[in-house]
Amino acid sequence: MHGNEVEFLESVSGFVGSWYLFASLMNASAALYLWRSGRVATLMKPGGVAISTVSLWSTVAAVFVILSALAFGGGVGSLRLPQGLRDQLDTVMAPQYYVTGVLVLLGGVYLARRFFVKPLVAWSGLNLVLLYMGLSITDPDFAAIVTKPDNVPIVGLVYMLGFFTWLGAYRAVQNDERTAQGLEPLEKADDEKVLVWPDLVYTELICMVAVTALLLVWGILLQAPLEEAASTVKTPNPSKAPWYFLGLQEMLVYYDPWMAGVVLPSVVIFGLMAIPYIDFNKQGQGYYTIAERKFAYVTFQFGFLVLWVTLIVMGTFMRGPNWNFFGLYETWDAHKVEALNNVDLSEYFWVWALHLPRPSAPEGSSGFVSLGYIVLRESPGFVCVFLYFVALPPAMVLGCKWMEDLGLKKWLVVDMKELFLRAGFMRYMVIANLILLMALLPVKMVLRWTVNLKYFISIPEYFLNL
Amino acid sequence: MPDKDGMSIEEILAAARAEKGVGGDSDAPQDDAPQDDAPQDAEAAPAPAKPPGEMSVADIMAAARGGKAAPKAAAAPKKSAKASKSPAKAEAKPKPSAAQETSGPRDTSSVLAMARKQVKPGPISKAEAAAQGKPLPTGGGKPKLDVPPMPKRPDFAAKAAPAEARRGFLGSLAAVCFGSALAIGFSTFSLTNLLWVLGLARFMFPNILTEPPTRFKVGFPDGFSPGQVETKFKAQFGVWIVRAEYDGQTQIYALQSVCTHLGCTPNWLEAEQKFKCPCHGSGFYKDGVNFEGPAPRPLERFAIKLADDGQLEVDKSQKFQEELGQWRDAASFVPVA
Repeated sequence: MHGNEVEFLESVSGFVGSWYLFASLMNASAALYLWRSGRVATLMKPGGVAISTVSLWSTVAAVFVILSALAFGGGVGSLRLPQGLRDQLDTVMAPQYYVTGVLVLLGGVYLARRFFVKPLVAWSGLNLVLLYMGLSITDPDFAAIVTKPDNVPIVGLVYMLGFFTWLGAYRAVQNDERTAQGLEPLEKADDEKVLVWPDLVYTELICMVAVTALLLVWGILLQAPLEEAASTVKTPNPSKAPWYFLGLQEMLVYYDPWMAGVVLPSVVIFGLMAIPYIDFNKQGQGYYTIAERKFAYVTFQFGFLVLWVTLIVMGTFMRGPNWNFFGLYETWDAHKVEALNNVDLSEYFWVWALHLPRPSAPEGSSGFVSLGYIVLRESPGFVCVFLYFVALPPAMVLGCKWMEDLGLKKWLVVDMKELFLRAGFMRYMVIANLILLMALLPVKMVLRWTVNLKYFISIPEYFLNL
Repeated sequence: MPDKDGMSIEEILAAARAEKGVGGDSDAPQDDAPQDDAPQDAEAAPAPAKPPGEMSVADIMAAARGGKAAPKAAAAPKKSAKASKSPAKAEAKPKPSAAQETSGPRDTSSVLAMARKQVKPGPISKAEAAAQGKPLPTGGGKPKLDVPPMPKRPDFAAKAAPAEARRGFLGSLAAVCFGSALAIGFSTFSLTNLLWVLGLARFMFPNILTEPPTRFKVGFPDGFSPGQVETKFKAQFGVWIVRAEYDGQTQIYALQSVCTHLGCTPNWLEAEQKFKCPCHGSGFYKDGVNFEGPAPRPLERFAIKLADDGQLEVDKSQKFQEELGQWRDAASFVPVA
């Protein structure tokens, strides 16, 4: 473990105490703001006593003050999650649960967005996350990974992304409700112009000064994570890409290098460039909305939050030595044994299912004959890929039509039938294939983690693996 | 004409205007287009509307220019009319337009100087030349020399046909490469680039290599115990020496310590008996075959042999890949009893 437990707790107590104090001040100022601005809402009346938001956040602030005092006063050892819960969280953070869990969680938040964007709910969520951080940082392994100078920005990124995603959804939900009532969006109702000079330029100046000050303080407080001189024969363990490329590095685990390093990044760039040509939705320009741009919103949040940000978080906090997966409360053990014997789809098909040897060309056969055998060997993969990219898009349209016929249309998150009718065949196929290519990554990740599937098509002879 | 010294500016300008008007009229008949009179009059009409004494300098200038520009303006409708009616006359067109260009708008001082000199710039008509008393330049001024005809070229001096063809080829090549300034520029550019590429190619093969030698000795075969993975050569040479079973035979072979996924350096994990890459988690068995993570193919072997003194010698200049069946090559391993 990390040396002396007592020493660790002493070193972390000041930070934990300040953390809770910050949370307390945050809640106290929220209560003060609500009280002064007169936006007090009554939550419930148990036994005739009205509990308002002001009293709620004041209570929370008081609780945080007590926690802060406990942390400063040496009782920080008791302020941690129970060991059993931490072990369970480690299990839940196994990659297959992590990826599917993130998908389910974000999908649920999206579907119930009207509930989650309420300031009361969002503020409670923020308080819970702050409390969770405070209770977790007293774990030595969690503290080691989170307070690493490399990783501190990622913690900030998580909070900022949460805030901005909430802000966008909050405005969008408001606008959608106004549209449903036949009102114009808030941005149109409040179209008061501001001047570039002095309004905008002053704002920019203040931001510039603030950011410079922040960077100065940061540069003084957190030392640069420098390492020894580079060597061609020694690779740091674990060897991590810059944080913004951790999604790509994670993708490289599941794909062939030329796929994850060349083809898919190019598809990302060209797909982004194609958006003006495949987006025919003229609604929702210049104001926040989700209901009018469901497809665009869901696709963006899937590509950004799931495929980019959660992979950055995963690569930063959960990838340890030998690129093994470690829970947040798990010690980075370089000798962690994980059975990761990967199996290609062709082996599953020929050896496991049919109990046959994989087809291979006889000794000394010509190039064309061996190529034919390779194609035969990988035929299950070719069929799967063909079905996925060619047959699935029409099937999605038919599925949507079928659900419509059954009267389940309101459960469709995205109506592919309408998309097909409006986009036309070619455009629809391009859209569907881009979406399916995006969705292939989580599919492949889960298949890798659950059934050790390596590649659908594996032709190492020609460096073609998918 | 009155005495120039006694004229005021207004008078000079009025005289100039009158001359210009005459000049314009005298140009018009040269274009043999009498039908132009109507537009020309219309253009010239505003000028004499005021007496010279009441005209400003700007008015005079405008009038002077208008008188000059009149034929030009008149030429436009004429051009189309001529093109449709008599195409034969079309070739006569460029002459008046060129004359008009030489007598385009000018600055005030030159107009005034011209008026004072009483001469018209540019080409002059015969009548004007006669009035000025100057002889017109004529082509047949000089008497022609009586040159005797050249003697006939003898047969032996005639040019040979093959030499003509060869020079034609070389000549055309030279013309393509150095025929014009552009061609010279591009040829020099291409030559410079070629030299640069050649120099770069030479740079790739330096005279002195500071790298460790590609052939080196790693000790006697007895020095490796069964199942051992020797990692001490990794730091300097990037190679593991392994004594293990492969294909039912105990061998000593040299594995290159470069991951076949993206080229990181894996580590040998003694407890797990595998090579493990820290970058993306690729794993390899002791024999170098990939089994976990994204690496698409096994590690590569270097050539290894028994040197004359009985030591093992690794040759990094030769590689053997399993997926190409090269590990069966006797140069890729040393069999151990």
